[in-house]
Amino acid sequence: MAAKNKSILEGIKDVFFNSLSVILFFVVWEVGPRLGLLKSTLVSPPSEILVCFIKLITDEKLFSHIEVSLFRSVIGFIIAIIIGIPLGFLLGGWFKTFEKLVEPLLKFLGQFNPFSLFPIFILILGIGEVSKIAMIFWVCLWPVVFNTTTGVKELDPLLIKSGRAMGLGKFKLLTKIVLPGATPYIFNGFKLASSTAFFMLIAAEMMGASKGLGWLVWNAQVNFQIPKLYAGTVLISVLGLIINWLFKIWEKRILVWKEHAIN
Amino acid sequence: MRKKFNEFNKKMLGFYGFAAFFIIWQFAPVFNLIDTQFIATPTMIIVAAAKIPIDLLIHISTSVQRVVLGYIAAILTAVPLGFLLGGWFPRINKFFSPLFQLLGQINAFSLFPLFILFFGTKELSKFFIIYWSCIWPILFMTTLGVKNVDPLLIKSAKSIGASNLVIFKDVILPGAAKPIFSGLSVGASRAFLMIIAAEMLGSSAGLGWFINNSNHNNIIPRVYVGVLIIAILSYAFNYLIKYIEANVITWKEDVNV
Repeated sequence: MAAKNKSILEGIKDVFFNSLSVILFFVVWEVGPRLGLLKSTLVSPPSEILVCFIKLITDEKLFSHIEVSLFRSVIGFIIAIIIGIPLGFLLGGWFKTFEKLVEPLLKFLGQFNPFSLFPIFILILGIGEVSKIAMIFWVCLWPVVFNTTTGVKELDPLLIKSGRAMGLGKFKLLTKIVLPGATPYIFNGFKLASSTAFFMLIAAEMMGASKGLGWLVWNAQVNFQIPKLYAGTVLISVLGLIINWLFKIWEKRILVWKEHAIN
Repeated sequence: MRKKFNEFNKKMLGFYGFAAFFIIWQFAPVFNLIDTQFIATPTMIIVAAAKIPIDLLIHISTSVQRVVLGYIAAILTAVPLGFLLGGWFPRINKFFSPLFQLLGQINAFSLFPLFILFFGTKELSKFFIIYWSCIWPILFMTTLGVKNVDPLLIKSAKSIGASNLVIFKDVILPGAAKPIFSGLSVGASRAFLMIIAAEMLGSSAGLGWFINNSNHNNIIPRVYVGVLIIAILSYAFNYLIKYIEANVITWKEDVNV
């Protein structure tokens, strides 16, 4: 009986079986330390992590740390988009000479390990917020630029020619044809940049900061506060997952017309 | 003559861009554009590097060793596992896939303090960071590659009586090779990314430590030396993988025209 819509019970069963491995993982994680299978000094069970989590929110202003971390990454990301997309377009083929002159150089610069550049950023911009935001900016810039460029280059030239044949001016050409055409790639660049941004920030905070989630986790590790360490790590991972997931959803809504050929 | 000169110029444009960048960089202090206390000029960098060749070599080999060790270990686990999951045990793959997807998205760096907790600040924690960052892309791409081998090819091989070994060697392996190599590339760039950060945070040798240490001791040109060496190394490593890929996958036509 091929019913068109599965019953809710079947839906729940499906979800349950799909996530069975994850559930088992958490069960082992919870039970292991309690039964002594895993060293309880090294592994905190999820229940303990949850308790610590609540304490962090009330006693240690967890939300201000989260706020600081997110603020730094978001600002860096936005600046990278503002500069990166136009730059990507420029390199996409409008000005051939500029492109040939600058592109190899940018490809070279984009490959530099961002962690290795971190001391340089601190050197030039100081220990404050600016250096961290600048680092996020640097790390996000390259995926955005290169993906935008690819998006523009991959555009079917037929579309542009049709646009011109219909008498579209340069601006309309850009907004009505190039922009929507390049959007899947631009979005891919966003996704890459966003996940990189967040984890770069955490790393940067571990290395040189006095607040933020990265600092929180590092501090807990140095002071051997294990539940806090786990709480911070889990929180960072969850936030990272949420960011990825948000971008996937956003992409689905914007690229309504595009079939999922890339995935 | 003039035409050839123009053509030559066109090809050299990229090089000109580079050259212009380096020249501006080198002479910027003269025009007070940059302060040499904070930004070293290319000549200063080369001089600084030339003063400590042996130390540099030690740091380079330390970092490279760590990367290669973690990377190869990841390949040795992920590729066979990918083959098993993708080809022989699709049910087990389906079972573990959500968990793996979840774990694979967790950045190795968020786990670094945890690894230090488990394995101390010695080599093992760094090994595990590299191992963790590399294993997921390689595993995913291998599994994907094996799953996507055209079943028709496998059936044709079976129908001419090929043994399982032959099918594996001559149908599945070549069919999955391209995705596997792309996973290897991703893994390689991740490995290099991570090692520097790991060395900056908890180590006493290696390029990451070198950069941090030079920074703390205020020997700024050395910081730039480190940055450039890392860039060159990661580029070389990626190039090596592409080279191996090109020599192994000799049967695929180029997509570019």
